[in-house]
Amino acid sequence: MMLGLNGLSRRWVGLLALYIAILSLLTPAATVKHDNFKTCDQSGFCKRNRAYADTAISNSKWESPYSLDQASLKFDNGILTGVVNKKIINTDESVRLPLTVAFYESGTARVTIDEEKRQKGQIELRHGSKASKQRYNEAEKWAIVGGTTVSKGAATSQDTETGTTKVVYGPGSKFEAVIRHAPFGVDFKRDGETQIKFNDRGLLNVEHWRQKVEKPKEEKREGEEEKKEGDEAVVAESDKSAAEDESTWWEESFGGNTDSKPRGPEAVALDVSFPGYQHVYGVAEHTGPLSLKETRGGEGKHSDPYRLHNSDVFEYEMDSPMTLYGSIPFMQAQKKDSTVGVFWLNAAETWIDITKTSTSANPLSLGIGSATTTQAHWISEAGVLDMFVFLGPKPQDVIGAYTDLTGYTQLPQQFAIAYHQCRWNYVTDEDVRDVDRKFDKHNIPYDVIWLDIEYTDGKKYFTWDPMTFPDPLGMNEQLDEHERKLVAIIDPHIKNEGNYPVNEELKSKDLAVHNKDSNIYEGWCWPGSSTWIDCFNPKARDWWKGLFRYDKFKGTMKNVWIWNDMNEPSVFNGPETTMPKDNIHHGGWEHRDIHNVNGLTLVNATYDALLARDKDEDKHHVRPFILTRSFYSGSQRMGAMWTGDNQADWPRLAESIPMVLSMGISGFPFAGADVGGFFGNPSKELLTRWYQTGAFYPFFRGHAHIDTRRREPYLAGDPYKAIIAQALRLRYSLLPAWYTAFHEASVSGAPILRPNYYMHPGDEKGFGIDDQFYLGSYGLLAKPVTQEGQQGQDIYLADKEKYYDYFDYWTYEGPGTVSVAAPLETIPLLMQGGHIIPRRDRPRRSSGLMRYDPFTLVIVLGNSGDAEGMLYLDDGESFDFQDGAFIHRRFLYTSATSSLVSEDVASTKASGKKAQDYLKQMESVRVEKIIVIGAPAAWKGMSDVEVSEELGGGESAAATRRVPLDWHEKDEGRAAWAVVRDPGVRVGGGWKIAFA
Amino acid sequence: MKGGVALLCFEYAAFAYAASEGGSGRPRGVSPEFAKFYKDAGSFACISNPSISIPLARVNDDYCDCPDGSDEPGTSACAHLSPLSPHTPADVPQSGVVNTTLALPGFYCKNKGHVPAYVPFTSVNDGVCDYELCCDGSEEWGGIVKCADKCQEIGKTWREIDAARQKSLGNAGKKRKELVAEAGRLRKQVEDRVQSLGVEIEGGEVKVKQLEQELAEVERKEKGKVVKSGGGEKGGKMGQLVGLAKQRVEELKGALVRVRGERDSTKSRLQELEGVLAAFKEEYNPNFNDEGVKRAVRAWEDYAARDKGPEADAAHDRDLDAMTKSDEENGIDWSSFESEEGSDTDVLYAFENYLPPTVRTWLDQKLRDLRVTLIESGILADSSSSGDESKGVKDAKNRLSTAQKDLEKQKKDLDGQKEDLSKDFGPDGVFRALKGKCVSKDSGEYTYEVCFLDRTTQKPKKGGGNTNMGNFVRVETIFVDEDVPANGKGLGTGERIAMKHENGQHCWNGPNRSTMVVLGCSEENELWKIMEEEKCVYRMEVGTPAVCGEGDAAAKVPQGGKDEL
Repeated sequence: MMLGLNGLSRRWVGLLALYIAILSLLTPAATVKHDNFKTCDQSGFCKRNRAYADTAISNSKWESPYSLDQASLKFDNGILTGVVNKKIINTDESVRLPLTVAFYESGTARVTIDEEKRQKGQIELRHGSKASKQRYNEAEKWAIVGGTTVSKGAATSQDTETGTTKVVYGPGSKFEAVIRHAPFGVDFKRDGETQIKFNDRGLLNVEHWRQKVEKPKEEKREGEEEKKEGDEAVVAESDKSAAEDESTWWEESFGGNTDSKPRGPEAVALDVSFPGYQHVYGVAEHTGPLSLKETRGGEGKHSDPYRLHNSDVFEYEMDSPMTLYGSIPFMQAQKKDSTVGVFWLNAAETWIDITKTSTSANPLSLGIGSATTTQAHWISEAGVLDMFVFLGPKPQDVIGAYTDLTGYTQLPQQFAIAYHQCRWNYVTDEDVRDVDRKFDKHNIPYDVIWLDIEYTDGKKYFTWDPMTFPDPLGMNEQLDEHERKLVAIIDPHIKNEGNYPVNEELKSKDLAVHNKDSNIYEGWCWPGSSTWIDCFNPKARDWWKGLFRYDKFKGTMKNVWIWNDMNEPSVFNGPETTMPKDNIHHGGWEHRDIHNVNGLTLVNATYDALLARDKDEDKHHVRPFILTRSFYSGSQRMGAMWTGDNQADWPRLAESIPMVLSMGISGFPFAGADVGGFFGNPSKELLTRWYQTGAFYPFFRGHAHIDTRRREPYLAGDPYKAIIAQALRLRYSLLPAWYTAFHEASVSGAPILRPNYYMHPGDEKGFGIDDQFYLGSYGLLAKPVTQEGQQGQDIYLADKEKYYDYFDYWTYEGPGTVSVAAPLETIPLLMQGGHIIPRRDRPRRSSGLMRYDPFTLVIVLGNSGDAEGMLYLDDGESFDFQDGAFIHRRFLYTSATSSLVSEDVASTKASGKKAQDYLKQMESVRVEKIIVIGAPAAWKGMSDVEVSEELGGGESAAATRRVPLDWHEKDEGRAAWAVVRDPGVRVGGGWKIAFA
Repeated sequence: MKGGVALLCFEYAAFAYAASEGGSGRPRGVSPEFAKFYKDAGSFACISNPSISIPLARVNDDYCDCPDGSDEPGTSACAHLSPLSPHTPADVPQSGVVNTTLALPGFYCKNKGHVPAYVPFTSVNDGVCDYELCCDGSEEWGGIVKCADKCQEIGKTWREIDAARQKSLGNAGKKRKELVAEAGRLRKQVEDRVQSLGVEIEGGEVKVKQLEQELAEVERKEKGKVVKSGGGEKGGKMGQLVGLAKQRVEELKGALVRVRGERDSTKSRLQELEGVLAAFKEEYNPNFNDEGVKRAVRAWEDYAARDKGPEADAAHDRDLDAMTKSDEENGIDWSSFESEEGSDTDVLYAFENYLPPTVRTWLDQKLRDLRVTLIESGILADSSSSGDESKGVKDAKNRLSTAQKDLEKQKKDLDGQKEDLSKDFGPDGVFRALKGKCVSKDSGEYTYEVCFLDRTTQKPKKGGGNTNMGNFVRVETIFVDEDVPANGKGLGTGERIAMKHENGQHCWNGPNRSTMVVLGCSEENELWKIMEEEKCVYRMEVGTPAVCGEGDAAAKVPQGGKDEL
């Protein structure tokens, strides 16, 4: 290009440039309507705080104006309190900011800063606003459910420098919080080493309340002299306010909507440094790599901060810090053998700038020996400053502590982790019945069929279109014959139309969200003019509960579950496609205060509603299933999420993996992307590869836009149909492993799909890997193909361990990258040595029909020769597991004794009736086959093994018997393997198999 | 169909039995057809792999030993042996065996009191009573659910329905015969018509030839005439010309006024439409996520940005006003032209008068010859053809033209009839008898209609215009694989005759509508089912006696035997 340009005259170069410029103007925006969403520069508080950061960082003499009033400090029962003073620049005044630092039993610390004047309501609101004067302090009401028991062991330590206060806390008192007084800051240490620093760069900022000083109106008059005067006035003003840019303090307009901002500027911001940490993860939901990018511009970096402002982003783009549908303000930092994290509990619009600095003396050393510090600058528009700190050291320690606070993922009903068939829309009840029959006819399993908005009568939720769905109950009953479920969509916008009882009640009972003038807010959504339920109002939640009763929402029955969409909330004619920030919710909170938690509140209300649809249900106590698009920290307790409206193209397929992984490490693992892609028609190859990938999404649902061609798996034709069916059946056969992984997540917060850094926190090379993952604790390592025409896959093995191809037992050895053949019919899937994988291999029409099927155990022997695996099992639908009605076994193979045993994991022996009944029910369910991969050569010639089984009731082994063993020699690169033929042992009982 | 999920224990003892069940002497799930493989008292050889022999105790022990699954005719243990299942080496009994096709079509239900059938192995002991296939409930023997034997009841109902169906089929067969006969009759009509047309055309051609000669003769004579007998019309040539011009001008004026009217109304409609679209562009919501709307908005933007051509010129319109004024106002006095004396030729003839008689005669003769020559060679216009030809010529021409038109019509008719004969009206040309018949059905918010050999239509119940879903193009044969409900009103499995309809109304955001009308045997013409297979691509299942027979009825007996078996 350069050579070519040399030959051109200047004029032509100019023309060419012009031509290119014009072309670029004409090129239509490829995807998202950028204009609909703010950049940091268009979001006043973000702009202000970035400018604040620029000032602080560029000025070497900068000093943070925040200092701790030492006299105010009090430490009492695990909680340190005091007041931070913010000095107002160029005055003697300061603003009092009450500080709380709490230390919890779990080892989590929490720093909270409020503003005294707002706390006490000593401020004036503009425009006669009825909003609350306080900073929003109720996010925890929605997000936090536990883990806040105050530590008894936490204690102040005298062993500290002057001007600091030190608190020793955490398990084994290994953690320290060193609070610097002036300027205020906190250093968190583990084992004496600093892991996290607050306000290290001095970017802490709490925008205090101030009265608006009305400037004399600069009337626009013609003539230059007046203009000059005006200019001078502005200069004088800005002199007074000492370089503070007031232009975004008050009313702000965007896209034709004006935010009245009755409380003026009220942002909170904090810089958090992770010294020595090269990678940070989290702040879901975004596209782009799992390891977050820097956001202050430069080659391959973002130029805008990561944004959290739940939004209905139409045709969202790849690899972008733009906001999406949900927010989890939880960030983890990773360095070799250490993970730490922070959780910024704030429900307002939030931006996070990420920068990395290298302290290496030798820039050529390329990371070796150099120490990278990753810095995050958290900025929220409103609310109190509330930050939790987790000091690890393992990834699970951090995620576990975070989920201890925000709750573990719901243990879903088993059907919910099987395959879901969705489309916008199955158009009639007969259409639904037809799809249901076709799956059976083609022997393809599925569990759930979905209805998008078209089933309703004119987009009025809780109704059915009488023309197209004349017989919903008949339809549901047909589905129930094979234990299948229906999920119907219910959104939070209510059609604003007369003769629609839901709308009339919502309005007459005053349960809707209000606008800034305290009238019921009306906006535009699917039904046209709509109102929105205000789930912050307890009465609204009660009312919502009643709407789902079977006698109220006629046409639903016990196999009907709910999809909550558009709950960001999506408002078609609102600013950034959502509600005006000055709308008012119950309790006087402005929408700006609660925006990001709004979606969660709807799901919360729906969850409660689904627990009480009739008296029978109250008794049976079935676990609700809800899919949500919008979410916040804590939403994991109530259901699943999906990544929203994606497109049917290869890059989106690839993108879905880091997105789902990111959800997994953010405490919300029940996640998936629309299989096949929502917009557009996937090629058959893409569809097939997407099913192979989707078979590994924790939430596995095929979905399609209304304008796309039908693409149910049975329509795919040869050879695609069979390949897709294999992917589906693979998912179904591995359901015991999936269910156990979900159980683990439901008690520990552990991700279900685990990225390399989580599994191998000591392997720096793998910290950036986000296109392959492990399933649960089973050592199943998958790397789905996400490229068109790709025939092979390179898989990174982090450890020195044997890995076997799932489908042909080909043996690989780590560490390093190995190449696996991956023609269309193959999913690159390896089994790491050392695990035992439970399966149920009999294909059934739905997962419910597998309830009494026997199990297959796959023992994968690696370098140590030992293997271990868990199995959790319950009725898959009720809460009876809370009464002990479950089976929880640990299978252990020990090479030293050449024996496999099944141990009970249940900590307390459940003796209740429900527990006993369940065990009795499962009495006949056996292990029908044990496959040993990497079977020892010593077994050659062995023809049987000895089985001894405990009798029911824990009595010791009564009798032993021998069952056949079939041994197969190594073949080329394939491992030796053996099969124990029908050991017949009860899956719920204790037993031992001796391979000798 | 699912019974209560009574949670009984598996009866383990059940596994111990092998050879006999219910006294039939066959292992559970084995049909008489396959009984011979299970006769050996000592061992069992896998059906497709007889070299693999297993003890008889392993038959139906709920563990898959044979690569073809034949050792488990009565359990689901081998259900995974399928191209639809993911396979690892250890899933296939006896490694090294590549062919894992199941040897048995399924679990055999005796269905005593009804028709025996095979149930897919995947449905054995899954807790669901598959009464549709297994009315005796024998596939659920494991105790998960109790499936009472309903064969008496189901069989009875089935036999009643079947009898009705058979009767209906019989009737349908008769009706088909009638239809075929009717079609034959209709075809015969066409064939007869073809024949009679042939004769008529021959006659017509002869007639035309004669009339052509006659006309040539008359013309020849006429051209020789110098003095026209067409008098009585006023004003000579110029006058006639003026008359014609006047008439023409009036016509043009009329046309102009009409076209202007149309233009104005189109213009206002366009403005209205542009207004609608402009408002649409302003008010549409990008979050409706509708590709079509987006595309429409983009197209509108392109359209709006394009050069719209010159603005309407008021002066131009004024010109048009002036042109359409009456001629008097425009200052054209037609009558002054009409009354002009004599004509060009008159002057010529008058000139002759000044010559001596001999010269005049010679010249006259020469002129006449020259004229004829010139006219014949096309150089000079034939004054006789300019409106004032003689009655003889006119009559001859009229006769010829009528005869030609008749002939043309007959030929066209013949072509049409011949084409009709060559068209595919299905087997035995039976669809000929359906022509013009329509059947319809309500579905959702529409009534759908198919008029055979014509078109398919969607009529909204809520009011509004009908939508053409495609015009009949041709008859095709397609493969279908559908369930047949108890009443027999379904397509079943196999090749079926279908009528393809294309090029219906264009679909907002999609293709032109098209419909495939698939035909199944039925006593009456009836529309069974309508599906929109993909956007604006419809499929109708239609019953008609026209397609009864030829293996169609056979597909309607309830059977096991699904793909996977």
